[in-house]
Amino acid sequence: MKCVTLFRQDDHCWQAFGQDPDRPDNVVDTNQYLIRSGASAMLLDPGGMEVFPAMLAAVTREIAIEDVKALFLSHQDPDIGSSLPLWRRVCGADIKVYLSWLWAGFTSHFDRNATFTTVPDEGMEVSLSPGLKLRFIPAHYLHSAGNFNVYDAKARILFSGDIGAALIPRDRQGGMFVTDFASHIQYMDAFHRRWMASTRARDAWVAQVSKLDIDILAPQHGLIFKGDDVKRFIDWFAGLDIGSGIAAMASK
Amino acid sequence: MELGVSEDMSEVSNVARVQTLRTDRIEARANGLLGDCRRAFHAFGELDELAENLRILSLNAELAAGRAGDKGRAVRALTQYTRELVNRLAMIQGEMNALRVRTFTLSSTILRGLLQLSLFEQACTLVNDDDHDTRAKSTVGGAFIQIMRMLVDTLDDMANCVDDLARRARGVEEVVSQSDSIATNIAIEAAAAGVHEKEFRTVSDTMRRYVEDLRLMIDEAADAVRRAGEKGASLRRLGLDSLGELEHNG
Repeated sequence: MKCVTLFRQDDHCWQAFGQDPDRPDNVVDTNQYLIRSGASAMLLDPGGMEVFPAMLAAVTREIAIEDVKALFLSHQDPDIGSSLPLWRRVCGADIKVYLSWLWAGFTSHFDRNATFTTVPDEGMEVSLSPGLKLRFIPAHYLHSAGNFNVYDAKARILFSGDIGAALIPRDRQGGMFVTDFASHIQYMDAFHRRWMASTRARDAWVAQVSKLDIDILAPQHGLIFKGDDVKRFIDWFAGLDIGSGIAAMASK
Repeated sequence: MELGVSEDMSEVSNVARVQTLRTDRIEARANGLLGDCRRAFHAFGELDELAENLRILSLNAELAAGRAGDKGRAVRALTQYTRELVNRLAMIQGEMNALRVRTFTLSSTILRGLLQLSLFEQACTLVNDDDHDTRAKSTVGGAFIQIMRMLVDTLDDMANCVDDLARRARGVEEVVSQSDSIATNIAIEAAAAGVHEKEFRTVSDTMRRYVEDLRLMIDEAADAVRRAGEKGASLRRLGLDSLGELEHNG
């Protein structure tokens, strides 16, 4: 499992984990993120149960597991949070699990004993430590009906969930960052056309995040955007024809 | 393990995944146990239909006994006893249904536990290096032990279910033996029933056929229950041994 530090300033740090070399080919590659501040840490989209052993080993190389005080699930998919009961076994009993109110009952199918701190549709702000506030930003219908991004204004990082995701063949994987935006489009084009359903939702998201200062846009699959590639991605996504699955119904 | 570190965004490290076999062994045996439990319940799958057939037969036999007047008095008494046996079968069937739900719930807990056990076993292997401190190793190892303990407890419950199932199977066996005696007695009564002989003999023959079906059911179920009992006990021993070893090492 690769681990890349995206941001570090004093005790405030963002790390990305992904591209597990031992991941079976039929299990989609995912990125997991760890935000640390003081003695508290939050895992964003901690991953499916298949990646749990490697992820736990990678995280415990970086921090004491007791320091993980919160898990954030951007939406309900199994590659996001089917590892929930496993994390709850090793983290403290008081660990907080943030999730859209829409998915609490459904995600309980992964872990019936989990208690969720549900996020309202308009999002919310949480303090990871006295010095760090994180904003859960709504990204509904992109792709999930109850979906959130996480924005850290201090680190200027936006965790964007499936927005910005790319499916990169194993033999094309190298670093964790986009280095050539134009050639990267081929790996995210079909994904966004098919998985992102609502043009209205996309436009609202673009309008919302365009107001934010973002140095790094970190998706849950594929490579991470930094610097000018962040704006390039937002502009590209803003002009993309999405909802391609509708054609299959219209043709009937 | 492969590792490369720098202070900026290029910091990259790789941890390779290794697998061990403890949970594979437990999993293989647990799958065998669950398979035998399924087989035992499956064997009893037609019990309710047989009980219903036996009940209808006893009603028909009672009508035939009524038509035979005094010559049918003994058969009438035997058919009433048959109905009591049918009621006992129905009761056993109800208990068996509840037991089936309980067994399958435990199976699901065992399968979930095995999956977690296997994932934590992988994690234990991955943290067993110089990059992880004692606290990380003990947290991951502790979680593994916790799941193993839960699994051993669930296997205990499962063993109790298998014992319960064996008890129910013995209950059906008693019904079979008593039904067999009733069929023999009806056959004896038929011999002295004159014009009603044919009717009573048909009842007796049909009853024997049902008894045979029940016996086959019992044989198949008893074999599955015996195997499940043996596998459950051996699995529990394996779990306890692993737990003992882990606690001793931990």
